[in-house]
Amino acid sequence: MDKTYWKKLWVLFFTFAKIAALVVGGGLAILPVVEETFSRKNKWLTQEDLLEMTALAQTIPGIIACNAAVYVGTKLAGIGGMLAAAFGVCFPSVTVIMIIAAFFPHLEPSNPYVLGAFAGVRACITGLILVTAYRFAKKTFTGRFEVIVTILALFLLLMKINPVYVILCAMPLGIVYAFWRKTRGDAVLPGEGLK
Amino acid sequence: MNPFALFLLFAKFGCVSFGGGYVLIPLIINELVEKRGVINMETFGNLVSIAQVTPGPVGMNAATYVGYLQGGFWGALSASFGLIVPSLILGTLAFYSISRWRENLWVRGILQGVRPVSLAMIFFAAFLFLGMSVFTAPIPWSGLLKTLIGQGAGLPENFRLSLGGFAICAVVAILFLKTKVSTTLLIVLSAIAGAFLCR
Repeated sequence: MDKTYWKKLWVLFFTFAKIAALVVGGGLAILPVVEETFSRKNKWLTQEDLLEMTALAQTIPGIIACNAAVYVGTKLAGIGGMLAAAFGVCFPSVTVIMIIAAFFPHLEPSNPYVLGAFAGVRACITGLILVTAYRFAKKTFTGRFEVIVTILALFLLLMKINPVYVILCAMPLGIVYAFWRKTRGDAVLPGEGLK
Repeated sequence: MNPFALFLLFAKFGCVSFGGGYVLIPLIINELVEKRGVINMETFGNLVSIAQVTPGPVGMNAATYVGYLQGGFWGALSASFGLIVPSLILGTLAFYSISRWRENLWVRGILQGVRPVSLAMIFFAAFLFLGMSVFTAPIPWSGLLKTLIGQGAGLPENFRLSLGGFAICAVVAILFLKTKVSTTLLIVLSAIAGAFLCR
């Protein structure tokens, strides 16, 4: 456990805390910051590593920044690095939210202006989610399968079926579809349907 | 709820949340608002609003807040830690073989099946929020269906369009789609506009 190891852990924790706190937009908006710190400034990651990181972050479930942190942390400093980077991602949320929650434990304001402000923010979030859904749809709707599954899933969700079950049912469906396409001999492009 | 139950619940959410923070919204609503009834919809809407304005990924913020409301300090810690545990485990497993995993037909099939569901969940989250901002009550889907097939149930009394909410939502959507304006600025402006328009 020499000094450079601890320094790496600190850089991992600090950088990912910074990324989690400051990078808005979610998803792969974090990529340029990771590249700047770990590839250009410190030369710890190569371009191939960054591609691997992107692949991993998009393949496994969970918060994308956290998935990226797991890859970079493990790559640079093993299990310790992974934990340092992952805790870095959690750090801003946990500290800031705990302070806010301690002040507003009930979240049921009575002041009409505060109520109005919350209503305004909810309307704003509605707009943000709608645009996110639209962009996601443009990338996802590459074929009939995707459109049909989306409509079916939306119907099930509106029927108040537990989303966990809907996802679990979609997994075998996707596998069957992938094998069916393979036997039909459709060219499956690498990375298709993932970006 | 005790911290361990929160940990397990959010670990489950972490396992199935493909595709970003908004996917968590339907999961939390189904489990904590509808099934257990421990949080009401209005509180949840405000909670997501705060999660969106504070620094940190939306999903992580929302998880921490729900954890705090349900189990105080330890609840908040166990919820946010629960949410990242699946990515720690799966990330370690996939670390050495991610290139091979990506080529694997099974993995690809799973992702192909899951993506449209994630999209549906984001649309679902949008519908839920429409019912809390642009409209004054949750969208009555069965009522709409009956009206469409001509059984004329009509819309419930309390279901009206909120003009202020509609204006804010529309302006935000257009700005977010067409310009590079920051979401934080949009939220702050919406809060100010809402204080005057949505009372």
